Amino acid sequence: MDLRESLKMAVKTLTASKLRSSLTMLGIIIGNASVISMVGLGDGGRRYINEQLQSLGPNILFIVPGSRETRELGALEVPRNLVLADADAIAEQVPSVVAVAAENTTPGLITFLNRNANVSVIGTNPAFVTVRSFTLDQGRFISDLDMQRTSAVAVLGNSLAERLFDGQVPLGQSLRINDVAFEVVGVLAVQGSNLGVNYDDAAIIPITTQASRIVGRTSTFGTEVSFITATARDSESMQTAEFQITNLLRLRHGIVDPNEDDFFIQNQDTLLAIADTITGALTLMLAAIASISLVVGGIGIMNIMLVSVRERTQEIGLRKAIGASRQDILIQFLIEAIILSAAGGAIGTLVGVSGLSLLSLLTPFEAAAPVSAIVFTVGVSGSIGLFFGVIPARQAAKLDPIVALRSI
Amino acid sequence: MAPVIDLHHISKVYGSGNTEVKALWDISLAINQGDYCAIMGPSGSGKSTAMNVIGCLDRPTQGQYFFDGQDVAQLDDDTLATIRNRKIGFVFQQFHLLPQLSALDNVALPMVYSGVPAAERHQRASQALQRVGLANRLTNKPNQLSGGQQQRVAIARAIVNRPLLLLADEPTGALDTTTTEEVMKIFAELNHGGITVVMVTHEPAVARLTDRVVWFRDGQVLRTHMSPNDVSYGALVE
Repeated sequence: MDLRESLKMAVKTLTASKLRSSLTMLGIIIGNASVISMVGLGDGGRRYINEQLQSLGPNILFIVPGSRETRELGALEVPRNLVLADADAIAEQVPSVVAVAAENTTPGLITFLNRNANVSVIGTNPAFVTVRSFTLDQGRFISDLDMQRTSAVAVLGNSLAERLFDGQVPLGQSLRINDVAFEVVGVLAVQGSNLGVNYDDAAIIPITTQASRIVGRTSTFGTEVSFITATARDSESMQTAEFQITNLLRLRHGIVDPNEDDFFIQNQDTLLAIADTITGALTLMLAAIASISLVVGGIGIMNIMLVSVRERTQEIGLRKAIGASRQDILIQFLIEAIILSAAGGAIGTLVGVSGLSLLSLLTPFEAAAPVSAIVFTVGVSGSIGLFFGVIPARQAAKLDPIVALRSI
Repeated sequence: MAPVIDLHHISKVYGSGNTEVKALWDISLAINQGDYCAIMGPSGSGKSTAMNVIGCLDRPTQGQYFFDGQDVAQLDDDTLATIRNRKIGFVFQQFHLLPQLSALDNVALPMVYSGVPAAERHQRASQALQRVGLANRLTNKPNQLSGGQQQRVAIARAIVNRPLLLLADEPTGALDTTTTEEVMKIFAELNHGGITVVMVTHEPAVARLTDRVVWFRDGQVLRTHMSPNDVSYGALVE
């Protein structure tokens, strides 16, 4: 009995009981759809983060407080030992850097008339817009004069301005941040969220004003900052800039042993690498969880096939009586299991892929299943049919025709 | 004429020790090519076991069985399957047609296992169905056929590979009198065509239509007689 005949026979048998076949496939369909969508989601997440990192602007260096230890232990509270003077020193003394922005983010309550909003209050300096490649929608950004005078001026994120002023012109309006009066001098263009900070929903004020009027001086070394961003002259100067900044900060912080650095510097590439590691692990974990449902689907096929062997005992007996060998029966049931799981796999893939397409159609999240994942899951589901089909098929092949024919 | 079926001191024993059951005990029996033979006997007489051995579905515990000149008593499962496929046609009381297949596909099934090409299968299966008078029922599924028609499809399936031996186990057991007559007529025609027919039956009326009756009792051949008119209820309860 050749393979083509076996295939035709299996298709005939499976299409004869469509409901049962579809129900049997359901487990594999769900398993495959979930694997595909999980991998697709993970992949989309990775791309989303990459895009975010790339949108930060080119040639950016992040200078973040914290020792090697606190970084490796993943501590939530890091020593706040980077100060505004460090940022100024980098701007003045590091020749390969063209712009330096210091940022200090604190939560704050904004009040305008009877409207309140809990937002991030970001204290920064005029170079911020240059480093981050941000643009303004209205008005102006913080100026050097504002910094010197610790003026109470604020630049609002786009959606925050919308929310507070509701169609009125925000410029020149007076609002209160933590009960200190500020004048709105500018509104940012829409930026989107960036590294977990939603600049559209934040208020930006001079960092000097923030230090003197809102948070007070909390560091013994001057005005503390959350982190410093610096733009290198060009991509070739990145390494030089990193080296020079490191040296300068060690000098300023009195560090001799590099192991005792109380800051560390990251660039887009290292951030990308970290993000890749995290999202890669996440994708793998999601895929592993989804794979469990694929295996459960395979067990489902085995169950139904075992029931099917029992129910079709007479058929098996008859086939053997009229000349089917053990191998013929074995192959017949194996092929049925493989067809079920491969077809289920294909349908599941289709479901998963269309689900992902729907998601990317409805949300800005670009989720698509990589071709490798599709090939992998369809292959795996086929092998699952082979694997879980063996036990029922062997049972069928083992049946004694006399006993099988007599059973009812 | 050389016997198609030649049983020499065949025994079939199930279990061992105290639970030993001698289903067949030292049976010798020869059935010639072209014979039309009925096997009768009460339940538990060993006639079913004898059928299984004769049909190469089962192996005897002891003895030799020459089928078509070949000793088949201790062949392996797959070799026996090939012999059944090529040389023996089976007809069962419950027809045993596959419900998902058409009459034509059911009849063609044995040829699938003997590797006959599709076109020839189709042609030979239609011929076999024509021979049992079902030329106009090729595409019907079994549940669209009457009991008598289903049994005729089963007979067509049994003869499609041109077997030496047609082995029928209570072929009329599930049929009414009229269809029994139709089916028995087909068996007689096939036998006239040269096929050896052996059938197990409970019905004296059916056995009377054959040429020879073999009586089984307690795992042994009680007697055989060539005059079918001797078959009676008297003999059955003897």
